Amino acid sequence: MHWTKPLAAIVLCASAVLASAQASGQPPQAPFVHKKKYVMGTVFAIVAYGESVAQLSNAIDEALQEVVRLDDVMSDYKAESALSRLNHSSHSHPEPVPPDLYRVIGEALQYSRLSGGKFDVTVGPLVNLWKAAIRGGQPPSPAAEEKVRSCVGYQKVELLPPDRVQFHSPCTQIDLGSIGKGYALDQAAAVLRAHGISHALLDAGGSSLVAMGAPPGQTGWLVHLRDPSNQVNPVVMLSDNSVSTSEQTPPSLLSPEAAGHIIDPDNGAPLRTTYAVSAVAATGTASDALSTTMLLLGPERGKQLVKDLLGVAAVWVASDGKSELASSGPQIRVNGGAVRPGASGQAGSSPLR
Amino acid sequence: MMANLKLMSMRTRMLTLICLLAATPCWSRVLLRWSQPSIPAPATMGVTELVVTWDNAELITSARRRGYRVYAEVPVGKPADLAHSTAKNSLAGIIFNPGDAQPREVDEELGQLRSAYPHLPVLLLNPKANQPQMKGQLVIKKDGILQVTSPTAQPWIDSNLALVRFDQAFRPVQAPLYEFHWDVSDSQQPEGSPAPEDYALAVAEAGAFHVDLVLGLPPALQADLAQNSPAAQAVLIQIRRYLAFAARGEKNAAEPEANVGVITDSYQKSYEPTNLFARHNIPFAVLNASDLKPQSLERFNLVVVFATPDDATIKMLVDFASKGGVVVVVDAQGPYPWQSTQRVPAGEYSVAYATGKGRIIELQGQVTDPGTFAQDVRRLLDQDKDKLALSLWNALTVVAVSYRSTGGGKLVELVNYAEEPISVQVRIQGSFSSIRYETPEQVCCESLTATQRGAFTEFVVPSLRIAGRVHLAGRKPADHKAEGNENHAPPFCVLHCSALSAAAPFREPGAQERFQEFLPHVRRHLYRPREQGNLCVPL
Repeated sequence: MHWTKPLAAIVLCASAVLASAQASGQPPQAPFVHKKKYVMGTVFAIVAYGESVAQLSNAIDEALQEVVRLDDVMSDYKAESALSRLNHSSHSHPEPVPPDLYRVIGEALQYSRLSGGKFDVTVGPLVNLWKAAIRGGQPPSPAAEEKVRSCVGYQKVELLPPDRVQFHSPCTQIDLGSIGKGYALDQAAAVLRAHGISHALLDAGGSSLVAMGAPPGQTGWLVHLRDPSNQVNPVVMLSDNSVSTSEQTPPSLLSPEAAGHIIDPDNGAPLRTTYAVSAVAATGTASDALSTTMLLLGPERGKQLVKDLLGVAAVWVASDGKSELASSGPQIRVNGGAVRPGASGQAGSSPLR
Repeated sequence: MMANLKLMSMRTRMLTLICLLAATPCWSRVLLRWSQPSIPAPATMGVTELVVTWDNAELITSARRRGYRVYAEVPVGKPADLAHSTAKNSLAGIIFNPGDAQPREVDEELGQLRSAYPHLPVLLLNPKANQPQMKGQLVIKKDGILQVTSPTAQPWIDSNLALVRFDQAFRPVQAPLYEFHWDVSDSQQPEGSPAPEDYALAVAEAGAFHVDLVLGLPPALQADLAQNSPAAQAVLIQIRRYLAFAARGEKNAAEPEANVGVITDSYQKSYEPTNLFARHNIPFAVLNASDLKPQSLERFNLVVVFATPDDATIKMLVDFASKGGVVVVVDAQGPYPWQSTQRVPAGEYSVAYATGKGRIIELQGQVTDPGTFAQDVRRLLDQDKDKLALSLWNALTVVAVSYRSTGGGKLVELVNYAEEPISVQVRIQGSFSSIRYETPEQVCCESLTATQRGAFTEFVVPSLRIAGRVHLAGRKPADHKAEGNENHAPPFCVLHCSALSAAAPFREPGAQERFQEFLPHVRRHLYRPREQGNLCVPL
């Protein structure tokens, strides 16, 4: 599976007035730089304010380069990535991995436990099975599905401190497509901070955003969230937190079957839902993982999970306009309600209580 | 007898015309739009053709003296005014910019211009092209608003391939000629000007699509170039490298390959889905519904119908499906004869009927999600992999076009809108004796290693920055015979009618109308060059 969510209709619509005359912390005409780069199968973009265009340009270049470096670590598409090596070799013995990979797998396993296995980074073989089968015009056979399902399960992945990973199944594979971009955004934000930048918005292909501070004169970065109904218009004001959106691949217009890219580990088949979910959390890693988790859990169980977490909010919007909201801090506005930055927890902190 | 004589006469005239025009390359050319009073010499600029507004007689004259071929741009409503221009006699041609005019008005004014200036080529400009670029989700507008523009996590590519295919279908008498306005709202370049890579990408795209481009340069860059500023020269070096690359395109490249035929009578209904076909590298051609002939569909595996089919078209579609093709009828209103055949499983918003060896799928309503529609079409093609002309991997930012060439060879033109080097895996139908790769940055050519998989050849393009061209040479003469009528083609690969009105045989009244009648005969041989002595002529 590629890094990108190639079939996903995932949208975040971010808007922020940049040139307001009412400065707060930054001068109204503060220099800003916007750069983008194709990496992880999508376009990463960063806009940042700072003291000079040269400083910003240099910092953003380094931040985007950090994403490139992480792609070389976490990609399951590149044969030479650390993850690909892990997927090929840690079935028989514990495999040492780079710190970033160890850390992000550790975070992923936390969300797997938190969601009772709904969020599962070992689900990739099932995704590939469905994709291949649908390309041939038929869903996979029950036998093939059963065989692949035996490879899936986060419990089959063991972390051995300080840096080793072992799989307890001969066919287990890890796919970080539902958490890696968020992690990359967090690390890119850390690079910007190291350059003294504190007002920036980082975007991973529209499906995850990390906000640092706010634009000059503003209290946050106003982000329009995915609304498949075009009726709900959910928005959130981000400031030192993150939002990610997940949505199942839209149904095929012409063919009877089409595999969605999000598989429900409970039944091994593509998730059937008309919801799009946006999740707000303190970090990109958390929001990326939680958006997929909330989509899989659905609003009923998802709302309970939000209450159990710190500084998290989520909105489910269905194609028929039905919507559900939950928050333990950040405020998501729907249908034109007031919007303000919510208590999102300390920047960089985990939402786990 | 008279008819035969007339036809022979037209043939003779056609060949005369071809000989007159043989010196001009037909694959792509770039014309620079210029507005500043002074201009460096053509040798410095790397182009010989300029576009200047029709009422700037002084600039037209001075550019002409500098050695440029100068085209006067005439906007809608101004054809008659050109007659008063003192510089009209020194023009190389006229470019008519229709702006937002309606098609009828465009045709009328174009006709006026061609009648008034029978000795000059009169070209129709499409001014509504997009700046070729890769877009992210965040776009900074001039009013300082940041907003997301695309609902997809894949990179969004602004490509002009669909626009080109529409122009080829609906304005077949000239090669597509287009222009775009630069989007510099978030440019990091001085004074918000495009980056050198952006110019290179624009030239590369036109070159890859084998069409003509009017390239605008910001006034500040023009002034700097005129003053020989080092920074401007650095930009120019980059542009010139790509101009040279586009100009040395394969002269024998012929018809672009297509698996999908798009039958349409409306730009509005069908543009965005076809734009997504381009975006997903689905090889397609646009067919004007009113020009459809029984043989029009022969080369396709799948046909998408956006126009309401008349009886003749319905018969063609049924024949096409009976032979194994897949037909997708968008916004099907029916009743249709195929509805009496067996229904087969289809999507949530469609109904499918088994028809002979193929099937016909009716989509209820218009295409509301062009991205999903394009991916559906891609899936339908993937189910018949042995027929897919070209497939790419690791190429989300790449648009590729494959062309048949002489001797069973092919040419693949690649454009990478990300403007950063990537490695692309290519699978192309056919078997080839050699595969050579060239780029603007690299002297021709690097030999590529290929793997033969059944009827397909697979290879990896090692580094595609912005533009790349792969030459695939045919394997053996026997392969050529399999190409059917190609060897019987006339000694030209016509049709690009920029200089049509300049040709002596067409000066007499009614000549152009007769040429229109003759056009189908020419088009049948279009893009079918001979193996030797081939002339590739712009009309």
